[in-house]
Formats: sequence, C-alpha cells, structure tokens
Amino acid sequence: MDVLLAAPADSLGLTVDLALAGLTVGCAAALSGIGLVVCHRATGVLNIAQGAQAMAVAYLLRDLVVVRHWPVWPAVACCLLLVAPALGVLLDVLVHRPLQRRGAGPAETMVAGLGVFVLLIGLVVLLWGPAPLAGAPSPLGGTPIRLPGGHTLRPDTVAQLAAILVLGLGVTAVTRWTGFGLRLRAVVDDRRLAALAGVDADRLSAAGWAFGTFTAGLVGVTLAPYLLLDPYGLPLLVMETMAVAVAARLRSIPVAVATGLGLGVAQAELTRLRPSGQLLPLVQAVQSNLFVIALLVTALLAGPHITGGSHDLAPLAARRARPGGGGPGGGGPGGGGRGGRVAGAVCLVLLLLPLGFRGNDLRSALLVPALALVLLSVVVVTGYGGQISLGQAGYAGLGALGTGLLMSGRIPGVPPLPALPALLLAVLATAPLGLLTGWPAIRRRGLALALVTFAVGTAMSRFVFQQPYATTGLTLDRPALLSGDRAFYLTELLLLGLGLLTVRALHRGRTGRALTAVRDHEAGATAAGVDVPGLKLLAFVAGAALAALGGGLMGLAGRAFDPAAFDPVRGLLWFAAVVVAGADSALGAVLVAALLTGLDAGTTAGVSAVAVGALAVAIGRLPGGLAALPARRPRATAPPLPASRLSPAGRRVRALVAARLADERRHRPSRADGGPP
Amino acid sequence: MTTAATTATARLTARGIVYRYGGIEAVAGVDLLAPPGRITALIGPNGAGKSTLFDCLAGTVRPDAGRVLLGGRDVTRLAAHRRVRLGLARTFQQIAVFPTLSVADNVRVGAEQHRGRPDPRAAAERTARALGLFGLQDVAAEPAAEQPTGVLRLVELARALAGGPRVLLLDEPAAGLDTAQTARLVTVLRGLADRGMALLLVEHDAELVAELADSVYALADGRLVAGGPTRTVLADPRVTRAWRGAG
Repeated sequence: MDVLLAAPADSLGLTVDLALAGLTVGCAAALSGIGLVVCHRATGVLNIAQGAQAMAVAYLLRDLVVVRHWPVWPAVACCLLLVAPALGVLLDVLVHRPLQRRGAGPAETMVAGLGVFVLLIGLVVLLWGPAPLAGAPSPLGGTPIRLPGGHTLRPDTVAQLAAILVLGLGVTAVTRWTGFGLRLRAVVDDRRLAALAGVDADRLSAAGWAFGTFTAGLVGVTLAPYLLLDPYGLPLLVMETMAVAVAARLRSIPVAVATGLGLGVAQAELTRLRPSGQLLPLVQAVQSNLFVIALLVTALLAGPHITGGSHDLAPLAARRARPGGGGPGGGGPGGGGRGGRVAGAVCLVLLLLPLGFRGNDLRSALLVPALALVLLSVVVVTGYGGQISLGQAGYAGLGALGTGLLMSGRIPGVPPLPALPALLLAVLATAPLGLLTGWPAIRRRGLALALVTFAVGTAMSRFVFQQPYATTGLTLDRPALLSGDRAFYLTELLLLGLGLLTVRALHRGRTGRALTAVRDHEAGATAAGVDVPGLKLLAFVAGAALAALGGGLMGLAGRAFDPAAFDPVRGLLWFAAVVVAGADSALGAVLVAALLTGLDAGTTAGVSAVAVGALAVAIGRLPGGLAALPARRPRATAPPLPASRLSPAGRRVRALVAARLADERRHRPSRADGGPP
Repeated sequence: MTTAATTATARLTARGIVYRYGGIEAVAGVDLLAPPGRITALIGPNGAGKSTLFDCLAGTVRPDAGRVLLGGRDVTRLAAHRRVRLGLARTFQQIAVFPTLSVADNVRVGAEQHRGRPDPRAAAERTARALGLFGLQDVAAEPAAEQPTGVLRLVELARALAGGPRVLLLDEPAAGLDTAQTARLVTVLRGLADRGMALLLVEHDAELVAELADSVYALADGRLVAGGPTRTVLADPRVTRAWRGAG
C-alpha cells in the first residue's frame, strides 16, 4: 500500500497535535467506560441504554440553555447532578429491580435495557423532533489553552481529563477503602450471599444506576458540542464506545481509561495515513470509525464474564407446547388454537386493506410487507434459534444495496439486471453473509453475542452504507410492470407469503423441533444428536436472506437507497419490537410491521419508538411478549431477595449464615465435579 | 452404518485420558472399559473427576491427552453430536430437557437425528417405543416445562434411548426419582444391558450401584484407585475410605 506520511520535519509536532485532538473523543470514551464499569459492578447489568441517556441529557441541556436561556453552569449542574442521577434511580426502581427480583435472565435484562434505549430516543424525537440540532452549549467556551511548543489544548478536554482523574481515583478509593466499597465488592461477588449477610443490595444498585446515568450524561454533554445533536447518531456513537468497557472486561477502570484515551488518540493519528487510489475511502472510513472495529474485536475476544446464561432466551418465547398441541408450529402467536386463527385473520385483513388505499397512504403501506420480512428474520434467528442478533438491519441494508448495485450494473461482469432478478440475486448473495454473525454465535451467547452482532451491523452501516463509493449512482427504479404502487404491493405480498412459508418450514417438523431444542437447551440438544452449530448457522443464513429480501423491497418501494433506513439504532428498535410481540411469533412480527408503519405514517415521529420502548421496558412483567398473553399460565417465580432492614442481632445471624454458606461453597469443588444436587 | 448403529453392540474404551483445569489434572490418565451387555459404574467422592471424565467420553470437552474408542473407532476428535449419532448417548446430572416442547417432541428430537434420509415413520416408532418404556404415554402431549423432576429424568433418558444408542452414559440417573420410579429405572437399565447395550453410570447411591452394576471403577483425585467386579471394589478398604470421606 502506498502510504504518504507527512514530512518528517514537522512529524513530531503533528503527532502531538493529533494526539491532543484525539483526546477529546478519547476522554468521552474513557468516561463512558468508567460509567459502564462502575454501573456493571454495582448492578451486574451492562447499561446498554447509555447512549440514549447521554443523548437525552445533552438535548435537555441544549433546551435549557439555548431555548430557555438558563445560564450555562446552573443548567449543567441541573442536568448532570439532578436529572441524570434521578433518571438512573428511576430506571433502577421501575425497570431493573423487578427483573432482578424475579431472577430474570440476561436476555430479558438486555431487552429491558434496549427498551429504555428506544423509549428515550422516542421521547427525545417527540419533544425535539427527529432533525439534527446545532448549537449544543459548550460549558467551558472555546478559547484554547496554549501549551509549550505551540500546541493548543481545548479547555473542555482539560475538564474531561480532570473528570476522568477525579472519577477514576474517587471510585477506586471508595471501593478500596470504605465500607460502601466493601459492600459493593460483596454484592458483585455474589448478590444473594451479600443480601444474606445484610448488605442492602437495592441501595447499592440504585447508586450504581445513578452513577451510570450521571456519567452517561457527562459523556453526552461533553461530546455534543462537537457534533450535531441527532437522536440516532449520538446514541450510536456512544454505544460504539462500549468497546472500552468490554476491553476492560467490565471490571477494570484503569484499563477502560487507557483503552478509551488510546483509541481516541489512535483514531486521530490514523488521519496521517493517506493511501492513494481505491483504498482511500476505506482507510478514511476506518479513520473515523475505529471504535466500531474496536467494539467488534473486543466483543469477539470477550470471555465468559460478559456472556450471561446459556439458555436464557426461552422466556422470550411466546409459544409453549400446549396439551394436545404437539409442540411448535401450532397456528398463531397465542400458541395455536383460536387465538392464532384470530391473529391470522387480523393479519390478513391488515395486509389486504392497503389494496383499497391510494396515493400517499398506499405508498406508506408499501413498507409493511418489506418491514415484516425484516422482522421475520429476527423471529427466525432470535425467536426460533434462540440467538440474539442486533445486526439484522445490516442484512436488510445489504439486500437493498445489492439490489441497487445489480440493477445499476455496478457489479463487474454482471450486466444491469431488471428489478426482480436483481432482488433475488441480492438475497442469494446476502444469505451466506449471515455467517458473519452466525459463526461468532457458535461459541458465544447472551451479551457477548448481542455486542458482536450489533458491531457487525454497525460496521456494515459505517463502512458500506454510508460510504459514497458504495452508494453513489444507484438506480432502484421499478420496472414498468411494477411501477404502479398497487402492482408492487401485490408483488410484495406474494414475496411475504413465500417468506412466511419459509419461516413455517423452519418451525415445523424435524428442523423446527431441533431448532427449538437448540434454543431451549444447547447441551441437551447436542446430547440428542442435534448438530447445534449447523442449526445456528442455518438460522443466521435464513435470517440474513429474509432481512435482505425485506431490505431490497424497502429500497424498491422508495426507489432509492437510504442509508438512514438501515441505521443500526433502527435495528435495535426492530429487535425490541419483535420481542415485545413475542419473539417466536411470525404473525406477531407481521402485526408489528403494520403497527409500526401505521404509527409512523399516521402520527408524529417518535410515537412508535415510545410505544415499543415502553412495552419492552415492561417485558419483565410480560414474559413472552404480547403474543403470550392469551396463553399466559402462572409462572414459577424466583423467591424475592430478602429485604434487608434488619436488627443488629438479625444481621449477626445473617453474617453467620453467609459465612457458613461461603465456607461450604469453598469446600465444594466447583466445575470439575459437581456434588449431588 | 446408520442401520448397523441401531442394532450392533459396541464397547466404549478410554485410554490414558488426561484433562487439566488451569494446571490441575482433573482427570489424570484414566483407562476405562464399558463392555456391551454390562452395566459399569463410576464412583468416587465429589471432585474426583467423574463428571469431567464423562464429558471427555461424551465429547462435551476434549481431553488434553488420551483416546476414546467407540467399538474400535477412534472418536476422540469427533464433536459430541457426531458421537451421539454413532451410538454414544448420554444424560446429564442437571436435567437437560426442552421446556417449550411437549414430552413426546422432547423424545422425538432424539429419535430424528440419524444420518442420511429422514424417515419420519421410523422416528415416530422409536419415539413411541421409548415413551412406552418409561410409561410416559399419558403425559406425551403435555409441555415438558410442567412435569415434575422425576418425570423429566425419565424424559431425558427416553430421549437418549430414542436415538438407538449402543453405549449409554448416565450421570446420576436416579437423582430426584421416587422409589417406584427408581425401581422402574433399574428394570429398564437391566433390560437394556441384557439386550447388549453398554451402560456406564456415575452414581452416588452405593445401594443402587451394588444392585445394578456388574463392575465398578473407583476414582479419586482424577485417578483410578480400584476397578473390577462390583463386590470386590465396594469392599476395597481404599474405596470405602474415599467413599466415607465424601460424607
């Protein structure tokens, strides 16, 4: 590769300047890392909604200062010291504590976190609109500080560094030397045991969430002045900095800080690489998206500490085997029977209704079958296969992009194709790319898989969809036969029907049973002779194909490739929506597609996100999603953690019990050979 | 091959199995033989390495050294599900069933994993036979999630048998069973051995071992301390000491 470096004479000076410039992003990433690590330590939960919290606080600050003309510092204090921690405590009390009490698995916890994410984005869009806003206030003004050697440093970078130092040292001191820290470590070690020993785990986790949202707010407020405030862009940027916390194995604050600063500086230094020719756009994309790569790498390397339980997705499944029902495949979202038939009829009516529409209404409705197909891909991968995939929007985008490239004759050696052959070829080409997320899924589960799939989807968006080299000069014009919206809608319905048949085949008979076995209990499935890795790959490949088909139809419906339509954050919304409807309910996915499209077309932007977010937040009280409601049976619930307001004598007794338990645990060999149950 | 797998008998042989956890040899060079038509028991105190050895045999983990032979074929490097399809089935100490499937479908999953062309009728037959063996017909259509522990253990065992195994590895099969269920289990296991299956079980219950097993291996600290006919091994002072040590 032909790399031209700057002239050696000013090389050192440039290096220093770039490093100083990179510190801004590096500091934000380090702060984000501290927040995630501390929150995870205190609560055992990765604050996946951190990006949305950061964005919401940044919007609030801008509103107070720019719109309501508050002085900057009181506004900052109000946002960071009052609103952000209060939001954290609220999330703890309303969302996470009920889940913890119920002993919910990591998948449910993650979905609730995604719900918070989506809900906050929806609220911000409702309050301040979906368009990016400029003019986020910068508390410290812009006069740069002069350093020896002619270098300059932004004052807010200094403030950020100071904040990192204070927070990092403060947290370390508190955990090392105070009773609070001791209790914190006890809770992290074993929450139940700590509760038995009289530690008020609830208060600790409230403190953890308050700190987590406080740092999230700090990240948002410090990043916002350098960007446009954007309800999708800012949360995504902050989510990418999760790489820092994952690299720190969600434990070590020094590692998080070092990784954050290091990545920020490295990203800035990379701008010195200026390869000529075709590599340039790719290298430039890396230069501005190093955190995405870091997230992908760290999530791939992450060990079991961020993995979570093994077969934790079963609670998300709406459909249970019913007496006489003979297993999966029974009709509809309610687990077969009448509820299923009703849901099927509702679906059919909703899908046929737009045939009577005209004009813009019909044009909006074109999105329903397309989105339904994308959502079906989540049903297959997550609902049937039990694998968390947050990257399905990426495959949808690849389908749209591939269709466009093939139609425009941009693939070397392939003449420009008509729309439908291009679409089908794009689907076939995207399907094997499902291995990109399927392969990591063989050995990863839970949170680690969620992060990997999210990173893959984000990388597709950042490195492909948003790059001019891939997306300029695309045609997605429909052929004369399908140029009418009604004819195109009928074609979409036909393809959706084919998609539903494929999905049904994946949920019935031998394959369906084996896939359900994989979702319910991987080790058990292996012991039954099921080829678990093979079935996981099948689920991801089928999912990629379905998503690509839906994405291609989205592109053809709008006659253009719109990168924003396949934004990774939108993918999170879709995932949450499917889980809310009942992850393994194909008809539920179709209904959700109709509802989302209807809400987006018929109401203000943001309403659909608020609805999905609110329902996902409530998933703890709604296991199995909406589709499981008719079939709901009383669930065995884990006993709640004991309340811990105890008399001194009671505490002593608990401490004794806890010591005894710990002792027994130490003497019981752990993994090598479990004792009798 | 597939048809042969369901009928022919096979012996399971382990040679010099070593498995290390972070510097500790959980299994330190164990030789073991489970012959067809016999019930072989593996006993030992907690932490002796029984379950790890089991995992090495079943293919859940790969041993650091040693070989596992199934009917003369080296399966050491085969994935767990491939071993199952060759006729090496297992059950778990912690019950492993599929809660959202019905009892019948749980068993059927095991019956359907033969290589080659799927044969639904044969699979249904094997399922029905396995369900009948444990008297599970009455609950066949019920969701597995709603069954008591004892039934689930039998469901798991039925699933393992539905695949037509030649060698069956059982990790504490009687845990959680009531007296009647245990009695049924004993009858079934004896019957399986009489028909030529090789059974290897890990068991804590000395009475059950004495009642069921033809021969016993005693494991302590990852090594074999004794092996031979059940009565001899159970009377061995080294074994009784280790057993008593386990509490």
